[in-house]
Amino acid sequence: MAPAPKPPAPINCKLLLIGNSSVGKSSLLLRFSDEQWLPEDESSATIGVDFRVHKMDVKGKKVKLSIWDTAGQERFRTITSSYYRGAQGIILVYDVSNRESFDALPRWFSELETYVSDKVVKILVGNKVDKEFSRQVPTAEAQAFATRMNSLFVEASAKTSVGVKEAFTDVVERIMDIPELWDSAPGVGASAKTAGGQMPGGGNVNLADENEQEGGGGCSC
Amino acid sequence: MASDLPYAADAEVSLSYDELEVLRIQYQKELAQGYVTVQTKFNYAWGLVKAPIRDHQVEGVRLLQELYRAEPTRRRECLYYLALGHFKMGNFDEAKKFNALLMEKEPTNMQAHSLAQLIDKGVAREGYIGMALVGGVAAVGTLLVAGLIRRATRK
Repeated sequence: MAPAPKPPAPINCKLLLIGNSSVGKSSLLLRFSDEQWLPEDESSATIGVDFRVHKMDVKGKKVKLSIWDTAGQERFRTITSSYYRGAQGIILVYDVSNRESFDALPRWFSELETYVSDKVVKILVGNKVDKEFSRQVPTAEAQAFATRMNSLFVEASAKTSVGVKEAFTDVVERIMDIPELWDSAPGVGASAKTAGGQMPGGGNVNLADENEQEGGGGCSC
Repeated sequence: MASDLPYAADAEVSLSYDELEVLRIQYQKELAQGYVTVQTKFNYAWGLVKAPIRDHQVEGVRLLQELYRAEPTRRRECLYYLALGHFKMGNFDEAKKFNALLMEKEPTNMQAHSLAQLIDKGVAREGYIGMALVGGVAAVGTLLVAGLIRRATRK
């Protein structure tokens, strides 16, 4: 109720995972946030969207990540576009052992052009490097493509956890380098406003923040 | 640590008026032409279920139920959003039923597990409110009785 915001309010940061079906978006998120991995026969395709909150320290700042894990299936394409709103970082995932998932990237990039500002930080993640023996996308080619698309690049494996932490921290660090992506007062006001909610640190707070950011012009889309 | 809180993003975030309007217009257009595609119907139902307005949620659930019957290939997402819709409306028994059907098919589906926890929380909260009401009625009753007794003894 009191309008005074707590001094060390974390910076809110919205990340979005996109890419073809079965490339391992949810697995990367599960590895990053819970240090877990589910074998292929136990994991199920994401329905619409899944969501996680993760707190981390980046460059001496407390950051609260809300990570939106979207369904890759074509049938959810219309739906998932609505989740782009207010995102500061986009993680585009493909499977290094699946050429098709890499060839689909231009489509994902053009979708980004439609829905988010070009200031938004992008990282290309080549997942499943544990399947090195059946690799279909050379590292150099993907690196060159990422550079051309003005995005960061890393290869990773949700299974062995290689490169996973880097993928997420690289994006967030880059976002921290661009104050106009996160340095807006509304975030603070929103968390103070919703502080009366039931769950401290719960997702509710985040959603309010995103709406505020949208209104406050945090993103020019 | 905060990441293991149950959460269903689709239950909390609604579409803007314009976004829902896009889905509605497409649906109405196809309806007028006499053939509604599964995708159009699903998209509109999804938008309705996410809405904060109860009438929208009811309509969304109705469309999803039709889709569920007509379209076996879309059953898993229909079950999830049926559970979500009923959860939002406070129909926890129905929500549980649909979510249980999904978990039966996909026992390790984490979205379903998360939603199950949310439903249980909803049930618990309703229980507390119920208890508080019963407690309140009991308290008032006690006061009345006490008052009557006092009156009776005074005479």
